[in-house]
Amino acid sequence: MSHAPQPILPPQQAKSWLARGPVLDPALAPPFPQAALPMLRDPQLRKNVAHATDVIQAKRARLVAEKPDWQALRASASRIRDEALEHLAAYLEQFEEQCAERGGVVHWAADAAEARAIILGILREENASEVIKIKTMTSAEIQLNPYLQAAGVKVFETDLAEIILQLGELEPSHIVVPALHVNRSQVREIFASSMGLRDLSDDPQALTAAARHYLRRKFLDIPTAISGANFLIAETGAVAVVESEGNGRMCLTLPRTLITLAGIEKVLPRYSDLEVMLQLLARSATGERMNPYTSLWTGVTPGDGPQRFHIVLLDNGRSAIRARARERQTLRCIRCGACMNACPVYRQTGGHAYGSVYPGPIGAILTPQLTGMQHAQSLPFASSLCGVCYEVCPVKINIPEILIDLRAQVTDQERGKTARFFDPMYLGLRAANVLFSRAWLFHAAQWMGRLGMGVFTRKDGWIHSLPSIGAKWTQTRDLRGLPQQTFHSWWKQRKQESR
Amino acid sequence: MHANTGFRPEAWSQARRFVKLYRDAEAVVIPSSSCVAMIRDQYPGLFEELGNEQLRREFRELVPRVYELSEFLIDQLQVEDVGSYFPHRVTYHASCHGLRGLNLGDRPFKLLSNVRGMELVPLPHLERCCGFGGTFSVKNGDVSSAMLAVKLEDVMSTGAEFCTALDNSCLMHLGGAMHRQFAGMKTIHMAQILASTGQSPAEVLG
Amino acid sequence: MSPTLAARAAILTKLDAGSSASGGATPSEPLPRDYIRHGSLDADARAAKMIERLREYDAEVAECAPENLAFEIAAQLSRSGRKTLVAPDGVPREWLAAGFDWKIDGGLDTEEIEHCDGVLTACFCGVADSGTIVLHHSAAEGRRVISLLPDWHLCILRASQIVETLPEYFDCCTEIPALVTWISGPSATADIEMTRIKGVHGPRFLNVIVVKEQGIGTRE
Repeated sequence: MSHAPQPILPPQQAKSWLARGPVLDPALAPPFPQAALPMLRDPQLRKNVAHATDVIQAKRARLVAEKPDWQALRASASRIRDEALEHLAAYLEQFEEQCAERGGVVHWAADAAEARAIILGILREENASEVIKIKTMTSAEIQLNPYLQAAGVKVFETDLAEIILQLGELEPSHIVVPALHVNRSQVREIFASSMGLRDLSDDPQALTAAARHYLRRKFLDIPTAISGANFLIAETGAVAVVESEGNGRMCLTLPRTLITLAGIEKVLPRYSDLEVMLQLLARSATGERMNPYTSLWTGVTPGDGPQRFHIVLLDNGRSAIRARARERQTLRCIRCGACMNACPVYRQTGGHAYGSVYPGPIGAILTPQLTGMQHAQSLPFASSLCGVCYEVCPVKINIPEILIDLRAQVTDQERGKTARFFDPMYLGLRAANVLFSRAWLFHAAQWMGRLGMGVFTRKDGWIHSLPSIGAKWTQTRDLRGLPQQTFHSWWKQRKQESR
Repeated sequence: MHANTGFRPEAWSQARRFVKLYRDAEAVVIPSSSCVAMIRDQYPGLFEELGNEQLRREFRELVPRVYELSEFLIDQLQVEDVGSYFPHRVTYHASCHGLRGLNLGDRPFKLLSNVRGMELVPLPHLERCCGFGGTFSVKNGDVSSAMLAVKLEDVMSTGAEFCTALDNSCLMHLGGAMHRQFAGMKTIHMAQILASTGQSPAEVLG
Repeated sequence: MSPTLAARAAILTKLDAGSSASGGATPSEPLPRDYIRHGSLDADARAAKMIERLREYDAEVAECAPENLAFEIAAQLSRSGRKTLVAPDGVPREWLAAGFDWKIDGGLDTEEIEHCDGVLTACFCGVADSGTIVLHHSAAEGRRVISLLPDWHLCILRASQIVETLPEYFDCCTEIPALVTWISGPSATADIEMTRIKGVHGPRFLNVIVVKEQGIGTRE
């Protein structure tokens, strides 16, 4: 009798609609406040996320402190990425020419559907019924796996975290350490049942060995692989993949056919630009000076590695982001995950609350923009604007600035709708603005406010409960009632007394 | 508040009013790092959007005379000791806008170190956001409360009688929870501590 | 027009249209490069740093003089207990210690390589800052598969091939290689509760012999 893996959510919530598990499709995911609530009520999740992010942050901090040129590296990296984005068309064309010259086949996909179709097309040509895959966020963005599975292609994820998620039918919650919300006994359950290893212990060493064994033959036997790309080098048409486990090297070297999916923003102008990016990436992502393995290949090399290489360049909303002056810097992102490791909001909610394959601060700005601001409109508000993400971002994306801008865009969208008249926040802020516009209005409002608030104010001068949107404050906090005397009148009185 | 939560046109009128009211002031001292950060970081963009050249100029001339309280005391008046007396155990919370927006650095500590009778206890995870975040505190009230719970653990662990900061927003949020929970601590703005003397000690409400 | 060519045209058109929006810095200003490009350590200190970093990653490091290299290789191999070894066809013949089953890679079958216990290669250079071994997969470094499948990798690194900083490595690349593998320790994962486990795929054991004194390396 097989033992189903333990659900992440506590049993009593399994009956609710959330039991299907987190929804990482921005078109379908519930708004952030709603999605976050069950996460906040899950002590194991909060503990796992806090532990994981603390570990990486501590390692990162130590390495940053030992690097006196850290800020100089950030400055250069940010400009290198800006340069690439500024001349993106030219660099993409250069990349294409160089890659094709070395035997690579370059495809372009305007959106997710086109990319999926191109990849399936190649697999059909190859008569591939199975593929091995290196983790790529971009493939999750275009929902590639379910599409291929539906078309009869078996997809084998090869990153340890991705195997855990795939076999356990779970969703990723972080872009670098996707299974950080899963603990060792949960992993044991998943492996034991899907790999038929009843006596498997929950020691991470044993679990890792199980994964190694499970994948070995797949690496050797499956002739088709799909990868992502960390960087595309325009100068030479090379592709770079950064990893830790070695499954990347396996997928990039052993198969006959390699298909790489890459967002168009991944371009770097020159090979030597890696001297900056590689110093920043591992330190920011995993708190190491350098990750264990980085692979770079250019088209096809006879006798070494896949003899058929396809690369799919994906737009899917990136060109639109690039066209906006303030938001373009979003595309500098090198997917290090430092922002979510540092984010105090992410620390409490984990990644699933963001309803996207890109969670955390970068997800809060990237996801809604990739949908053309049609979905995920709650994400720009999922931040206290503390600014630590901007502080740690290796390419200096001013995330708080973009969050504020996206909030304005969402609010402007809402101005056209009648629903706004039923939104207490909207009405409150509009009213406040009117009251702030004239001194007499402001003073009158203070006087009326004291009367009005007086209804809610207790004898000790504090308010314990408020209606409507105010209830979200008073659910955990009291509010001091308005003081009897305003500063203005106190100041006037003091001046008169001193005469 | 309006600009930060997406109501930009409404923010324009407030920004305009700010310049009109204060353009002739010798100095505008604000005991709120989030307000000063708004004026320094966001107002330039707002005025650019407004497109009024004269207002932009007036703003540019005014903004160097806008100070956060601790900046004014230390940088402009070159004063670190204002003769304060506050005989209590106190911990200081670094508001995000002050910490990252204004880079206040050790200015608050310089001022606090000269308060007679006061014992300053360091706050663990000083740089971690308390979870107020403006309208975030109600739009994402649950997450805000979770962040508050975590911050409060650190604050309470100091064993202080008072938690102080340079921003009333954080203090309202932390203090509101302390009051709700009958915690043995209150919040107090640093201006009140600095103004506290033996003759007229700080009046702490609630 | 094929679908992908249509997409190509559409994407490039959108990018050209969006070019009027300049982000932060103007591209006409020179790109700042104020980070550390050159190291400050002398050759001995550089080698010492490289060795220290390698050991931090749990790589086993031995040092020897050039005239003792063949002997040291044989010693490492004996200690390892490995019997069947693969080597690229460009390695010096003296490196192929006697008493072991050597498979020279002139296009070996993947299954044959899979059955090898270990691999011996040269390298292009070492970067001391991060303890990184760089392979350009030349004749003495071998195809990528041979330093990937066997569980034990013995890499020969001459002290003259060690640079201190990563930018210095890029300065050495007078010709940009088509294939590069940067190795900074054996494979690892921290995916399970952030516990670092060594050796997932790829060689679980990395041994390096640092050959001191000037010698002829694969990097000139």
